[in-house]
Amino acid sequence: MVELEIQVLSDRREGLLVELGRVVVANSFSLIRQRLTHDSRGAWLSMIVRGPAEQRLALEEMLGTHSRVLSFEAGLFGEAAVIAAIPAKMAAGISPLPELVPEPEPPAAPLVAVMPDVAHVEHILPKLAQDYPQIYPWLVALENSVDDAVRESSLMLAGRRTGAWVYKRDYALGAKLGLADAIKRIAVPALRALADIEHHHVHIHILNSPLCAPGVRSGCKFYGGYLEGLLGASIEPKKVFVRHLSCRSTGAAHCSLEISH
Amino acid sequence: MLMQLSYNWLLVLLSFAVSVLGSFTALQVAVAIPLATNQHQKTAAVAMAGGAMGVGAMWTMHFMAMLACDTGMQVTYAPSLIALSALVAFAAGAAGLMLVANDRFSWLKLLGAGACIGLGMGGMHYLGIEAMMMPAVVRYDTELVAVSLVIPTIGSMIALWLAFNLRGRWQMTASALVMGLALCGMHYTGMAAAGFYDNDGQLPDGYADGLRSANLGLTIFAIVTTLLLLLLVLYYWRQRYRSSLSI
Repeated sequence: MVELEIQVLSDRREGLLVELGRVVVANSFSLIRQRLTHDSRGAWLSMIVRGPAEQRLALEEMLGTHSRVLSFEAGLFGEAAVIAAIPAKMAAGISPLPELVPEPEPPAAPLVAVMPDVAHVEHILPKLAQDYPQIYPWLVALENSVDDAVRESSLMLAGRRTGAWVYKRDYALGAKLGLADAIKRIAVPALRALADIEHHHVHIHILNSPLCAPGVRSGCKFYGGYLEGLLGASIEPKKVFVRHLSCRSTGAAHCSLEISH
Repeated sequence: MLMQLSYNWLLVLLSFAVSVLGSFTALQVAVAIPLATNQHQKTAAVAMAGGAMGVGAMWTMHFMAMLACDTGMQVTYAPSLIALSALVAFAAGAAGLMLVANDRFSWLKLLGAGACIGLGMGGMHYLGIEAMMMPAVVRYDTELVAVSLVIPTIGSMIALWLAFNLRGRWQMTASALVMGLALCGMHYTGMAAAGFYDNDGQLPDGYADGLRSANLGLTIFAIVTTLLLLLLVLYYWRQRYRSSLSI
């Protein structure tokens, strides 16, 4: 048996402990104690868990790739420092939590840089809600106001929050749907409010996104986050993932996204 | 001797309109049942939806349609059976909507909900016919009675599927129209299944104390007004909810 100390950063705290607690239990670990805090970067969940040593890698892999997890760190409980493990979708790690780690290393610039700029995103979100669906000027402003390195993650976070909000506002009434039905009845009409799109099964092509003009490096991340936020609540408990297949900004004819769960 | 029935078509249309209004209100409430965060909210939503469906869409439609029907006799209604028919309709509407709205949607639940509403509508209808006090006896065509039970079962399944699986403007309007058609379809098939035979003027006991058309008309007016108020409150509440959502 091993005891692990795990720290997770997520963009919002609602349901975080429940969702990650399920992952912990699914890997035969038990939750010994936890703490949920919030700061300008998002919601921090610290957990001490105990379980079989052979399941440790599986647990870390599942937490690291969980859709709610922006960044994640784990280590044996009581170790001097927690080993950072970074989800596949993140290019690098983050600085550890001061509460549980004695003295964090000074964060290297590239590590901090991949975090979304939560402060900028939080600042722009009320404007997105106010002007929805005419939100491109605000998204372009967000694009221009954050550092290059955090542009994609910031747009993705803005997309997730907007998508989750649109779902609650316009599509929450009714039953949970399967992925194909949720794409057809929720994602497609919601996305049509923002852009000209084509829909083929689990693929969505965005034809004229102003966020993806040649030379702009947002990489359709806003749409990816938007779809994950929009569909996430509709087909839970399964998780929705959006893969970016092509983007106009890199010379493709249109932006292409693939949705799966 | 079999008596001929004739209908006031304006009231027939109004009975359909009441059925659609009740169904619309009930489904508006029912699709929010899965969003209830505690048992108290869920119970309140089920009771409200069941009331709108059972008493609004089924019971009121039935008695408005009965007002539209001219049997050529003076008819009064037994109050106890009228109350029982309303209770059956309420229970069936609430059970059906609770079944389909609780937890995850499934075909089995849809079948159960359709059966609840279909059989509940049938039970309410035939209790309502039994409540009629008049110088006639009623005999039924059993095949048409069976058809009259199948129509609302299938129709309400389609309506519930539309309400819970579609999104947008068709979600509520199409499902309410289909539900209204299903309930009216049941009623008028049920009426076609019933034959009213003259019994040589023998009036049943309690005939004089029965409810008359004017009493029913007032009750229907009160229920329709309540439905409209409920819709208004729902609309206001939804607007407030939408504007209170934080992004």
